[in-house]
Amino acid sequence: MHIIFGGAFNGKRQYVKEQLADPSFSWHETELPALGQTAIIAGVEQWIRKQLEERQSEQAILAAVQQLVDSPGERIWILTDISRGIVPLDPLERQWRDVTGRTYQYLFKQARHITRIWYGIPQTIKGDGQNEYLYENRR
Amino acid sequence: MAHELIFISGGVRSGKSAYAESLARKAPGERRLYIASGVANDSEMAERITRHRQDRAKDGWWTIEQPQQLSAVLPLIQPDDVVLWDCVTTWLANELYEGFEQGELCVEQPGCMDQKWKELQKTIDAIRKQATRFVIVSNEILDEPLAAPQYQEWLGKIHQWLTRHADQAIEMENGVAIRRK
Repeated sequence: MHIIFGGAFNGKRQYVKEQLADPSFSWHETELPALGQTAIIAGVEQWIRKQLEERQSEQAILAAVQQLVDSPGERIWILTDISRGIVPLDPLERQWRDVTGRTYQYLFKQARHITRIWYGIPQTIKGDGQNEYLYENRR
Repeated sequence: MAHELIFISGGVRSGKSAYAESLARKAPGERRLYIASGVANDSEMAERITRHRQDRAKDGWWTIEQPQQLSAVLPLIQPDDVVLWDCVTTWLANELYEGFEQGELCVEQPGCMDQKWKELQKTIDAIRKQATRFVIVSNEILDEPLAAPQYQEWLGKIHQWLTRHADQAIEMENGVAIRRK
């Protein structure tokens, strides 16, 4: 399980498209694939927002994510950071950030490898034991 | 290294401007040029801009106020200058929302921003050809959902272009410079 993480419009999808040669991955935008499917899942935060708008509970959202993680097959999650702004007044907006944050924390714990993308530049933040803060370490 | 392009981005009060100035001071060059794109919207801001300009003048900097159309500075730049531009985010806001008074925002005119972006790329290349070192400062504001997706999309596009073309790309975290490239 891999995670590609970073701010909006930082080139995360582009990075995955460039790096991934394996054609067995199917691309899922703002939706979860069927259990057991080998897939790339992008726009997870928008999927969460949609669930909340449809009055799904946080427990149901997390359970769906957990079921998928526990099912067979390899998956790449593309996660957009929405965590660094001010706490919004609107309850749904607040709930969206809360549930997204807790879902991301769960996914980060489960992932074997996490790559952060900063304007197209990758940095391993979990997974290879090297000091990735040194730019020389990158390929 | 001559004609070096350095991109620095960080949050508000991350120390990015001070670090950018220190990098510019260390570079060999005839003159230090500071291109400022911020516009004063209130008196506190105006005072701050004046104070910064006076501080830099004491330090031997020459400040050019250029909120929009960066290419206008080109005639003022000479070979062996050291140039610092602060910052991309204010410039982008000034350009995207140009025409506010007339009710004809650039962001709403097809091709308007594309044209400005092409011109900016050419201008950055042209400044770099003259300068011994060209430092560009910007802000980290893509880690939260904003109500201005077009602004965010343009900023991400510009930042990605800058990290691709820069010799060095640096992310500032509370005064710590993390070299990403």
